[in-house]
Amino acid sequence: MTDDGVAVTAPLREGRLAVVPGDPRSSAQDVAEAVRSTVDAALAAGYPAVRITGNPTFLVKQGRGTATDGVYGMADLDQALDDVVRHRPAHVLCVYDRAHCPEEVVDRMRAAHRTEVVTPAIYDDGLLRLTAIGPGAARVAGEVDHSNRPRIRSFLESALDRALRLPDAPTDIRLDLSSLRFLDVAGAVGLVHAAEEFPNAHRLVLGGVRPRVQRVLDRCGAPFATQLVVQPRGDAPPPEPPPADRPTGGRIPDDPSPDDERRSEQASV
Amino acid sequence: MRIETTRSANAVRLEHAAGFHGSPTHLVDQLVPLARQAIERDEPLATALAPTTEQALDDRLGGAVGSADRVVRLRPADSGPAGASAQTVAARWALDLRAMGVAKGRPVTVLSEHAAALDGSDGRFWTELDAALNVALADLPVRITCFYPELPLHLEILEGARRNHPLLLDGGELRPNPAHHDPRAVLTARPAARPPVLGPPDERLTFSAWQLHDVRTAVERALSGNGYERERVEDIVLAVNELATNAVEHGTPEARMSLWTGRHGLMCEIDDGGTLRDPLPGLQAPHPAEPRGRGVWIARQLCDSLHVWADGHGTHVRVHATP
Repeated sequence: MTDDGVAVTAPLREGRLAVVPGDPRSSAQDVAEAVRSTVDAALAAGYPAVRITGNPTFLVKQGRGTATDGVYGMADLDQALDDVVRHRPAHVLCVYDRAHCPEEVVDRMRAAHRTEVVTPAIYDDGLLRLTAIGPGAARVAGEVDHSNRPRIRSFLESALDRALRLPDAPTDIRLDLSSLRFLDVAGAVGLVHAAEEFPNAHRLVLGGVRPRVQRVLDRCGAPFATQLVVQPRGDAPPPEPPPADRPTGGRIPDDPSPDDERRSEQASV
Repeated sequence: MRIETTRSANAVRLEHAAGFHGSPTHLVDQLVPLARQAIERDEPLATALAPTTEQALDDRLGGAVGSADRVVRLRPADSGPAGASAQTVAARWALDLRAMGVAKGRPVTVLSEHAAALDGSDGRFWTELDAALNVALADLPVRITCFYPELPLHLEILEGARRNHPLLLDGGELRPNPAHHDPRAVLTARPAARPPVLGPPDERLTFSAWQLHDVRTAVERALSGNGYERERVEDIVLAVNELATNAVEHGTPEARMSLWTGRHGLMCEIDDGGTLRDPLPGLQAPHPAEPRGRGVWIARQLCDSLHVWADGHGTHVRVHATP
């Protein structure tokens, strides 16, 4: 999270944020019990509410029996959590990874939750996530390699196509690379070539580029591509808010939209 | 880390000649006019000569070689734990000579001499070196003369020299060599040697195109805590990623990576079951408009050594990367 610019150091130090490793051996009851005691302890400490998020897909991946067992494991976990948090001031965001959940699982989990948050991902394979962030703009997070490289290219093609058709569309196609951890050589060459093939009035702007990605781009001719703008990511650590002098709730700083209901998240492809 | 990104256009291109000598004196007799010519023209001079030969040459030129700051000694072959790799030597010389030529804006004269220590079991190193130089230096303003003994231990050395050099130095004059062959034809007939066999690897991983992330993670883990700077780790991971990508893209759907760690630095081998189409990949800067071929070119410049060879089982790449 620090890597992605989220200020977590102070909340971690103050005990407002805790990261617990997933243990595939723990039962749904174990998890529910841990959640119950954590929530009660937080309430006793004076916090008004608790937010919890997690990805229970490991139950499927860790192969507790068949994939169907995993689904029942997730359903059990869900039921147990629901029992715990229904009458407590807690919000749980359950994240399901579409790549590891068959359609029937998605339907089942959708039915089991009160709210569904569909994130506007254009593409998500667990390694690379492309998210639209405005007209002609996308956020590229994760790693680009041989397995997913064509996705960037097809996004750029469709973004440029829209930019050319709509009179008010911005002439800069922007990619926010601040969470891009790896870019392979062919991926870098692809970005350079894409920018070179843009019509003269259009530019490809790469924002928040990390030094590691910058070096690959430099070695692949980016400095010579006149329609490519590479903006390095600032080295400043994420801004830390001043320490709270009284408990104000365990809100995770990057929670996009606080909501009082339980939600499930589906990555839409 | 110096990285060349693109090919340059030069008026003078590679002139690659072979010279033969019957004795150390005969060798120096032939070196003197070549070195003197470069000095008189105020052109940069680079050498890959035995210390005794260089001393004799310097004596004959009245100290002009030893004192001249224009003389650059090309890096000798490193027969480290990964084994001597002629293609790696050619890639390094190309990097140095490119920098010299660009800095001085003049053609570079190179004088090199056979060293029996690198013969290996059959002298094939030299055939590979000259073929690799033909590819790596092709677009550079370089005049290189390679001297070989008239009677080397391995006949292969003479045959390779005769096939690889477009020019022959004969009685102080350069003549076209009718026996000259294209470097790829030479290497098809006499492929690059397999490097020395290493022991069982510390880690072995079979991967497909969808598991390149696992390859990168394994390399990163092997390097961590072994004195590699963060930037160096990232560069080595990039280099191995490119070789692994090639293996599953051009070789076979599944390929294998082996890692050796230790006090010599990281050694990594990528094996696939495919056919090596270009016997010397990544030796020449790719054209800016060419989307392919840049990965190995960059990997060669990031690693201490990168050796590609093929056999009946497929294509293999071994890299050696120190902190």
